[in-house]
Amino acid sequence: MTFLAPLLLLGLAALGIPVLVHLIHRERDQLIQFPSLMFLERIPYRSMRRQKIRNWPLFLLRCVALILLILAFARPFFTSATTVAGALGGGREIVLLLDRSYSMGYGDRWQRAQAFARREVNLLGANDRATLVLFGRSAEASARSAVDHASVHTAIDRAEVGVGITRFGPALQLAKGILEQSELTEREAILISDFQKNGWSGDEAVTFEEGIVLRPVSVDESDTSNITVTSVAFEREPFSAAEQVTALARLVNRSSLSATNVSVALELDGREVAKRLVDIEASATATVAFDPFIVGEGQLRGTVRIGDDALQQDNAFHFTLLSGQLVSVLIVKPDVANPDSSLYLERALAIGNTPTFITEAITVRDLDVNALEGRSVVILNDTAPPVGSAGDALVDFVSAGGGVLAVLGEQVRWTSEVSDILPGSFGAPTDRGSNRSNVLGYVDYSHQVFDVFNAPRSGDLSSAHFFRHRPFTVTNPESILARFDDGSVALAERRLGQGRVLVWTSTLDSYWNDLALKPVYLPFVHQVVKHLASYVEPTEWYTTAQVLNVASLYAASGRRLEPKHDDPVAVTPTGERQPITVNDSSALLELAHQGFYELHTPGGDIDIPLAVAVNTDRSESDLTTLDPQELAGAVTGRAGAATPGHLVLHEQSPKEIEGQQALWRYLLVVALLLLTAETVLSNKLSQRAQ
Amino acid sequence: MATHKHTLVPGASFVDPKVLARIGNLELLARTIVDGFINGIHRASYLGVSVDFAEHRGYTPGDDIRRIDWRLYARTDRYYVKEFEADSNANFSVILDVSKSMAFSSGGLSKLDYAKYLAASLSYFANKQRDRVGIVTFDSEILERVPSSAKHLDLVFHTIDRAVAGRPGQLGDPLFRMTEFFKRRGVLALISDFYEEPDTILEAVKQFRAQGHDVMVFHVLDPAEVEFPYDAASSFEDLESGERIPIVPENLRAQYRKLIKEHTSTLARRFTEQRIDYAVFNTSTPIDHALFAFLSARERLLRVRR
Repeated sequence: MTFLAPLLLLGLAALGIPVLVHLIHRERDQLIQFPSLMFLERIPYRSMRRQKIRNWPLFLLRCVALILLILAFARPFFTSATTVAGALGGGREIVLLLDRSYSMGYGDRWQRAQAFARREVNLLGANDRATLVLFGRSAEASARSAVDHASVHTAIDRAEVGVGITRFGPALQLAKGILEQSELTEREAILISDFQKNGWSGDEAVTFEEGIVLRPVSVDESDTSNITVTSVAFEREPFSAAEQVTALARLVNRSSLSATNVSVALELDGREVAKRLVDIEASATATVAFDPFIVGEGQLRGTVRIGDDALQQDNAFHFTLLSGQLVSVLIVKPDVANPDSSLYLERALAIGNTPTFITEAITVRDLDVNALEGRSVVILNDTAPPVGSAGDALVDFVSAGGGVLAVLGEQVRWTSEVSDILPGSFGAPTDRGSNRSNVLGYVDYSHQVFDVFNAPRSGDLSSAHFFRHRPFTVTNPESILARFDDGSVALAERRLGQGRVLVWTSTLDSYWNDLALKPVYLPFVHQVVKHLASYVEPTEWYTTAQVLNVASLYAASGRRLEPKHDDPVAVTPTGERQPITVNDSSALLELAHQGFYELHTPGGDIDIPLAVAVNTDRSESDLTTLDPQELAGAVTGRAGAATPGHLVLHEQSPKEIEGQQALWRYLLVVALLLLTAETVLSNKLSQRAQ
Repeated sequence: MATHKHTLVPGASFVDPKVLARIGNLELLARTIVDGFINGIHRASYLGVSVDFAEHRGYTPGDDIRRIDWRLYARTDRYYVKEFEADSNANFSVILDVSKSMAFSSGGLSKLDYAKYLAASLSYFANKQRDRVGIVTFDSEILERVPSSAKHLDLVFHTIDRAVAGRPGQLGDPLFRMTEFFKRRGVLALISDFYEEPDTILEAVKQFRAQGHDVMVFHVLDPAEVEFPYDAASSFEDLESGERIPIVPENLRAQYRKLIKEHTSTLARRFTEQRIDYAVFNTSTPIDHALFAFLSARERLLRVRR
């Protein structure tokens, strides 16, 4: 045992002085002159002397209480872990919850957190068990309930700051499970974190049972400053045959001091192309606009980067850009067609740039294998399907993932050879009757086509009037996506191979209905085509911890994962190669690092890597903290659940060890109890003497 | 009484009018026959002029013929002389202990001051009733002596005033030496705190009694000596010897009180056996009350004894 203030132990000597004087009869603190000691000297010696201790228990009680008081003020502590365990009874179960969210990379927070965790493990006794839980968005336990403390040390040493955000809920839940299963009597969770406010919503519903202590240890600094690139927006404009893009970076200053001359650089394909200096007020945002740049063929990798600050993980923002998102649509018209039959359709598809629809209208006579090359969607607009090799090519086209929209108008004549690609069979046109019309009565809003109309005031599909349509009998009732109000089918779907076929039982011009004149026409057509083209809106960046479906990504980039290819491989930003297993149509990849992932398809004809930009969740950049005690109180249900620890800069300074053990509190409590007992005892003795 | 008044005779300041007023109607009578030259209030050791008829005796030549009882001669035809008991003035001496222990005071008057008041009052009172007054001060030796005289009151007062408690005292030797001073029987007032064994005290005082003196013993004690009111554990120092002992007063207060009570009781009993008046004077008691009580009791006893 060592003492933080050993000089105070001199008080023990002071305690001994009165006892010593008492025993050797030397006290001369008060001198009284008396006429004669004649009578006093006659009184028997022993009754005169004060060395007679009349009540030994009382004397010892007082001595022990005073000794304990002096020891408490001398602040004792144990330096040996074994001794601590022995002193505290041994058999502790502790769970070290170590926050590894990327905000822990601020300054030297992580090093201090590791040092504190190591010290806690050093203080464990031989019978104690420890679990290290590393947590960010999720929590994972390593070295669970380990008696071998070396393994915990190893786990602490190996742990690194992650890229995730702070979520206390899963970590505390995990700790709760471990501690509640423990049969040891003394159970404690030590939460070492920077206690970001975003990590605790208060709805986590994690409550420790009675007897489990939660000791929060904060490593946050009182004054923090951080500038973050929170997002990058793009303004696209057509420029010649390519696109001109203006990048707008949004910066946030999350400190109480304004920042001046913050360097903001734009890098494209690894090369710095622009740089700006900006001033940002305290707790304010700023937008930096860079000069436009051209996005040509292929994928462009970009990064907006600001100068160094204490938190590096949010200083760069990565993105990828693809040149124009194109969906090629082939509109097939009957050989003899009304010249306006595709007018509305073509006009609708000419609008929009996400994606940009490239349309080509041909007659059914001209439809052949070559015409289908590079197409995403074929719209058979009131025409019979091709026959012969063209018909076969169309079936193959669909099977390979293409989309076909069959518009059943006046001139449709389907032969049996290709009609089996349809989801059913249709009959002759029918009219609702004079002065009466149909409206769309049932719409499957859960379907991708109608999904955008689901929200209120997002388009009234029932505003269109349908005067004529072809009755359609589906083979599978579940394929119906929309019905008219008389119950007849309006839109039906069939999946064929990897492709889709949609049947629209009315026209897409203004002859049989007035849909083309309604505002919902354009989004309806766009949605139908996007669905048939399996179009996925491109994502410029992803967030760490997201799981990416690589297959969708390939589809969005206009490429397909061919079954003949080997499984794709992802090269992470750290340079590791990570194989991706393709199951059916999905190939999942967890994005665990910030930066650019490169996706390779080794067995493909041409291995053009596909880049994926991954950024950290910028909500973690907000370093606002919550009160650790408040969190501890919410989890344990007791206010002031445990004394919160403080940041640790170095290992095991005596003051810190003493502060953690706080043995003086126990000594003080015992001393006060003894003094109380002494008061009661001496009062009783006094009353008895009287 | 606590402050000395400035008078022409310094010692007269110890005479408090209040005390005299209180005891003015009393008489300090010698209980035994004393020798004197002038008519006084005390019975003389011879027959003399007095109003108190003693006896008849036959006329012998030389007797004063004025003392012949002519009425008896008329009845018996013989000459008889009437004898009367003579009244005399007495030698009144104060024997004052001025040893160091008498300097003790627990807050008010010291024992010596109290004794001075007592001595001065008694001397003044005695002088008023025409007794001759004198004083002897002593500690371990005889320090000052004023022989008894009707004119020595001022000297007595001076001596009282000068008396300072300075040295350790003892009773035996000084008192033995004093016996030579008091040849004529008279009244002696011994004032002391009597820190001696009762036997020693009696041995010393008994000599005066043997000489035929009427001895009054005034035992002056401070309240602290009686009550022993000390609480805090302290070292007690003997005023005379300088010896010190550590004491927890509360532990031995009862025993001390018992011892001091035994001491005064023993003294009272032994003095009474010797027909010596003994009184304990507590310095916390106003001296007029104490003296009045003493003299009243003495007067009553005197009448009874006569």
